[in-house]
Amino acid sequence: MSTISRRKFIQTTSASALLFFAGLNREGQAASPKGYPAKKIGNIKDLKVNEPVTFTYPDDKSPCVLVKVDNEAIGGVGKGKNIVSFSTICTHMGCPLAYNKGRLVCKCHYSMFDVSRNGQTYQGLASQWVAQIVLRLDAGTGNIYAEGVEGLIYGRIGNLKMS
Amino acid sequence: MSLFKRQDSLPIPPLDAETYTTVCQYCSAGCGYNVYVWPEKKSGTAKSNAFHVDLSKQAQLLSGFSYTETMHNVITRKNGHRYHLAIIAAKESRINKGDYSIRGGTNALTAYTPTGYTRDRLKDPLLRKGNGFVAISWDHAVEIIATLTKSSMDKYGADSIAMKFYDHGSSGLGFEDNWGAGKLFLSGIKTQYLSIHNRPAYNSEVWGSRERGMHELNYDVDDARLADTIVLWGANAYEGATVFYTEHIMPNLQGGSIDEKKREFAAGEPAEEGRIVIIDPRKNATTTVSQDICAERVLHLRPNLGTDWILANALARIVWENSWYDGDYLLKRTDMSTFEAYRNKSLELATPFDTLLANAEKITGISRKEMEEAAAWIAKPKAGGFRRRTLTLYEKGIIWNMKNYDQVAAIAQLSVMTHNVGRPGTGCGRLGGHQEGYVRPPAPTPGSIYAGGPPKNVDKYITGGGGKIYWVGATDPYLSTPNSKFFKKSVKKRAANLLDYLDNGGIPSDPKAYVAKVLEAFKKTDGLFMIVQDIYKTHTAEDAMLILPAAGWGEAVDTSVNCHSRLLRIYDKFMDAPGEALPDWKILALVGNKLKALYEAEGNKEMAERFSGMDWKTDAEVFEAGSHEFGDNRVAETDEARLSAECYKGVTHEMLRKLGNEGIQTPVRQDPVTGKLVGTKRRYQYSFATKDGLFKWYGTDAWTGYPEEVAKYIDNPTYPFWFTTGRSQHVWQTMYHDKRIPEKILSLPLPYVEIHPDDAVKLNLDTGDMAEVFNEEGSCLALVYVNDATKPGLVFGLMFHERGTMNDLTSSYTDPKTTMPWYKGTKVGVKKYTGKLDDAIKTVSLLSNNDVTIK
Repeated sequence: MSTISRRKFIQTTSASALLFFAGLNREGQAASPKGYPAKKIGNIKDLKVNEPVTFTYPDDKSPCVLVKVDNEAIGGVGKGKNIVSFSTICTHMGCPLAYNKGRLVCKCHYSMFDVSRNGQTYQGLASQWVAQIVLRLDAGTGNIYAEGVEGLIYGRIGNLKMS
Repeated sequence: MSLFKRQDSLPIPPLDAETYTTVCQYCSAGCGYNVYVWPEKKSGTAKSNAFHVDLSKQAQLLSGFSYTETMHNVITRKNGHRYHLAIIAAKESRINKGDYSIRGGTNALTAYTPTGYTRDRLKDPLLRKGNGFVAISWDHAVEIIATLTKSSMDKYGADSIAMKFYDHGSSGLGFEDNWGAGKLFLSGIKTQYLSIHNRPAYNSEVWGSRERGMHELNYDVDDARLADTIVLWGANAYEGATVFYTEHIMPNLQGGSIDEKKREFAAGEPAEEGRIVIIDPRKNATTTVSQDICAERVLHLRPNLGTDWILANALARIVWENSWYDGDYLLKRTDMSTFEAYRNKSLELATPFDTLLANAEKITGISRKEMEEAAAWIAKPKAGGFRRRTLTLYEKGIIWNMKNYDQVAAIAQLSVMTHNVGRPGTGCGRLGGHQEGYVRPPAPTPGSIYAGGPPKNVDKYITGGGGKIYWVGATDPYLSTPNSKFFKKSVKKRAANLLDYLDNGGIPSDPKAYVAKVLEAFKKTDGLFMIVQDIYKTHTAEDAMLILPAAGWGEAVDTSVNCHSRLLRIYDKFMDAPGEALPDWKILALVGNKLKALYEAEGNKEMAERFSGMDWKTDAEVFEAGSHEFGDNRVAETDEARLSAECYKGVTHEMLRKLGNEGIQTPVRQDPVTGKLVGTKRRYQYSFATKDGLFKWYGTDAWTGYPEEVAKYIDNPTYPFWFTTGRSQHVWQTMYHDKRIPEKILSLPLPYVEIHPDDAVKLNLDTGDMAEVFNEEGSCLALVYVNDATKPGLVFGLMFHERGTMNDLTSSYTDPKTTMPWYKGTKVGVKKYTGKLDDAIKTVSLLSNNDVTIK
């Protein structure tokens, strides 16, 4: 995600929630933003609302989805801030997630994640929100690049530590 | 872009990490967990680690090892060193088989850390001084409580002390803390004004079943996989006892347990995919998930609020008319001398069948066709004449319904009439809320109005000016008690009156002078000295005079049983409590021992004796001391019904530590032949828990309408909506931990209501709007979800949220037979609120949590 859209996001989203949690970092190891590959995963002109595109990232064992939704989404790129991307492995027990009507649904235990709200579990068993793929939109070409992952991809000790 | 800091890799425990077993601190399921603790600077490797899992490979779905961001934390022990903490769902537990819920999956995030989410845990005893609190020593706090309690007892009697304490297991520390509370309040102080964490009195939630001879925890998790039909009655299993649903009910509905059925059932007996009858006014996610799995095997009945016993009796009458009951069983195992009352008042055999069903349709709102179908699914014999196996589980929708006693009794009797107790795949009892862990001396009120009751209503006592000292332990009645606005207002006023008196001329620091001044205030005002003992400063603690810091889950050794197998396990200590916080039993023992010393000093042997037996040094000693309350458990398997449901006599902490996630099922008996301790898988196969071993029938009341507290709204157009409450998947109880955890509070930032689309149109409301829900009791501002979970004319509200409680709207009515409140039904008006709480709205999901189908 570009610096500009990040700043805009912070202006528009939950200020008090962010302030509150900014002071309360989770104990543990810092996320390592470095080391993620940049991968072209689509072009803005090819995306249609609610028609997901699948790809793998950061390696070929990690299925993901790129989708344009019909409302502004947390972390969204594009004019309407409505293009987002997520891992499609359920964070609960690793089943595949299907995109449907603004959410990712797991048919194993019915965990459901809201793609407009940071991949939060709004129903079901998954205690970890689904990992969101950091996107960059090249304004000139309309190409969309995956450039990082926020949150742990299920079944890995580290997103970049698979053999 | 993340709303909070996320991890993209996790620390690995070295081979020599400390390991412990525990059980989740939350719901009735009681999932097994393994705990790993290791020094911050040490690390295992992907191939060599304490998990004994190859972490270099992508975990497989379902069978893989689940270790996620929410399962790790870094704690600081009292030695000043920092340690990694990982809390992982146990694959070897037959309760959860590695599965976990959104609540248990965050167990690690609730650990106390000095700079993290839980940094505001209570660390010292706090004494109110004016508008704030000052930290004091335990000696100081104990001296105040003990001398004040003694003076109050001596002058005003034991009933001047009132208490409200948890009686459960899991997050409260089970048998150990319950024995501590029992010794102090029931043996020592002997007040009648006792109340349990979630209700105004000291009562069983299920006297309607227990007084029939049937304890409510009589089944095993296996029964949910073996049942032909599961009935969930006012019991939202998918959102309330989640892993019990996903690991035991769901496989049955999917047909995944047919092989198990074939092994367990009689030769030639049909073994098919399970059916489910869900009786709930709401179409919640338990219903929609079940429907998504097997719509044709789900029956959803949505009775009018407060009418469930009429429905249960109508189903029983259908069973009777079709002769689907087990006549031999009734003659052999039930007291037929009591059957007449049931036949006359519950089955109403004098009323023609068609008339009875027409009446029941009118009262309950359930059609005859639905009733007949439900009765057939519960009791109609299978092909070949084999008796159907039905497991019936009820919870707060029944317990906190209008007529607690009769509703529970009606359901218990329907199950016994159809012999759906004591066989594999059957059972009738509670789904449960918390886990359990009750061992105390006998309560002052032994039972309902039919057995020495009803117990005193402590809320009414306190709000009516009764009592001098009110001790609240690990519960937050400002949010959780019925008619909470009035309760809060009354307690606040009495606390302020006491404080005003104390403040006048300054609050003395010396404990003796302090107590003397409080006693003066007792004499001259209606002041209430409230003590709050908890892990956080609760809403109720705002008006406490003294706050006591308690240790929580994982900070002391605890033992409890789950609800779906009565599986007793150890919940080991793996971290230190913050600051000076102590386990509840230890706090209560400090006060009890001090009271004993005070009475000894004045030569009052009789009173000193009442407070004796609390000089425990370890949690294991408290556990052992409590076990004697269960009496002799040297009985044969066929006499298990004679044992108390939670009897663990002979079991030790050491033994449970060895058993780990396997545990042992209560009641535990000492086999008279082998002398070995043996658990009990399933109850009441041979007899019931009555003197003669026979089930006792009871004739329920007829329908007489609604109690005055709610009837006053019925024809009042200002309050056109029926209103019921319940819980959400995400959060536990009053959100005491969850309000501090971003994954939870960001997705549930506000109290919410669900409104049917037809009503939403009339009210000009849409999802994401705010609405005020109100009646003469109080009001609550809530986020609106418009969906089909409720029926037209019915509004649902999340029972309590840290930013507003729906109990401000509930009435003070309690069932006169049991003093159990009707939390689940009243009437309200709803108004659109024009303000917007944009902060919260931007993080909360506005998708409907009962829409689980992919279309």
